[in-house]
Amino acid sequence: MEDKKNGKAIVITSGKGGVGKTTTSANIGTGLAMNGNSVVILDADIGLRNLDVVLGLENRIVYDIVDVVEKNCRLKQALIKDKRFEKLYLLPAAQTRDKTAIKPEQMIELINELKKDFDYIIIDCPAGIEQGFQYSIAGADEAIIVTTPEISAVRDADRVIGILEAKEVHSPKLIINRIRPDMVKKGDMMNIDDIVDILAINLLGVVPDDEAIVISTNKGEPVVLDDKALAGQAYKNITNRIMGEEVELLNLEVEDEGKLSRIIKLIFGK
Amino acid sequence: MKRDLVTFKGVSEGVYLDVVGNDLEAIKDELNTKFNNASSFFKGAKFLGVRSDELSDDQIMEIKLTLKYKYEMNISNEGIPEYIEEYYTENVNENENENDTKTKPFDGIQEGVTKFIHGTLRSGQEVDYNGNIVIIGDVNPGAFIKAKGNIIVLGSLRGVAHAGIGGNYDSIVAAYNLLPMQLRIGDIIARSPDDEIEYKSPEIARIIEGEVFIEPYLPNK
Repeated sequence: MEDKKNGKAIVITSGKGGVGKTTTSANIGTGLAMNGNSVVILDADIGLRNLDVVLGLENRIVYDIVDVVEKNCRLKQALIKDKRFEKLYLLPAAQTRDKTAIKPEQMIELINELKKDFDYIIIDCPAGIEQGFQYSIAGADEAIIVTTPEISAVRDADRVIGILEAKEVHSPKLIINRIRPDMVKKGDMMNIDDIVDILAINLLGVVPDDEAIVISTNKGEPVVLDDKALAGQAYKNITNRIMGEEVELLNLEVEDEGKLSRIIKLIFGK
Repeated sequence: MKRDLVTFKGVSEGVYLDVVGNDLEAIKDELNTKFNNASSFFKGAKFLGVRSDELSDDQIMEIKLTLKYKYEMNISNEGIPEYIEEYYTENVNENENENDTKTKPFDGIQEGVTKFIHGTLRSGQEVDYNGNIVIIGDVNPGAFIKAKGNIIVLGSLRGVAHAGIGGNYDSIVAAYNLLPMQLRIGDIIARSPDDEIEYKSPEIARIIEGEVFIEPYLPNK
């Protein structure tokens, strides 16, 4: 690709499974590419790969990440170009192997290689804090923690933030996924402030629980492409915040999220 | 480890000498060491002959004479039994065949070795076989079948199927429900269309003029 870049590697992690890491990875990656960035989304969940399905690219896989680290193919042979965006690529996980197939050092080498050609490297981390998590965070410059408004997910997120700090991946940012404003209003669900209070990290965005996510996942089209979906709008805002540099802008945007929540309340509240 | 130049081998008829290479001096040296180490071992044994791929008849005769007069071996006129010679020639052929299967395409697609698999192949499972594969069950997305010959699925094929590995472009892939994620024959790769199309009839995939063609094999159904 053109000239040498100095990309940023961001790992999307959560500790707990099923909170929306893969959906978030797909939408942030697509969102960044929509804004003209060159992006590679890396599926680190070897043996349980899903990102290719969510992006609708499953039928294009010939080589995968394990083939790359074992040098069965060149890196560029394994990168799958997205069908919608020129500058978006997927590096798929292997399905017939397991998480012992990659070592942290190999991941660091791979990510350094990718940084030369891409603005952003989004790493979709597997659930858990074992090998898969360890190699996923090895090459990351930044981390985004995804959680849902449930005590168990928040607990796991807290644990992961602690490990990231110990591994010197500093200032992780938080995405609260699948929030239901109507339930929060009734006091049946943890609210945003409670969660931010416990985790004490910067909030990057809030994504409402949205049927459109289920539809988009099954169709293999990230929801960020759907202008009408609230969740899509939320991911667009998150993407903009990732690209923005100033802290104030981030705070402002979080304030915007409040307005968004009010809109959601208007719709769901009836 | 260096292989011995000379090895005495025992069979029911007696012993024979297996010789590697044709450096007569080195062979004689090694014989000498062997006899010095175990001089009494060969006493009274019936010596059948010398087996070698590289020595000339004259050289074999010289070794025999050395054995007879220097080491006082009991040389028999029977010679090496035929089955031993056959064993060596067969072994050489087998090695050649092994190389063949690595480089040449599998030619057993009309009649050849076949692996039968009973049950469903699930995501992450892989079957690899140097012949034809028949799956009596389904192949789910994320499963991978690799065959040097044909692939037949008596169920739904939704995973990745690679037939004709090694370059047999006449290999076929057939299934009751042919909906593979990806279909490869030889080094030709076809992928499923992005918009879903579901055919209900059994289909067969083959290469026609360098492209994968899929058609029903029971045209009237």
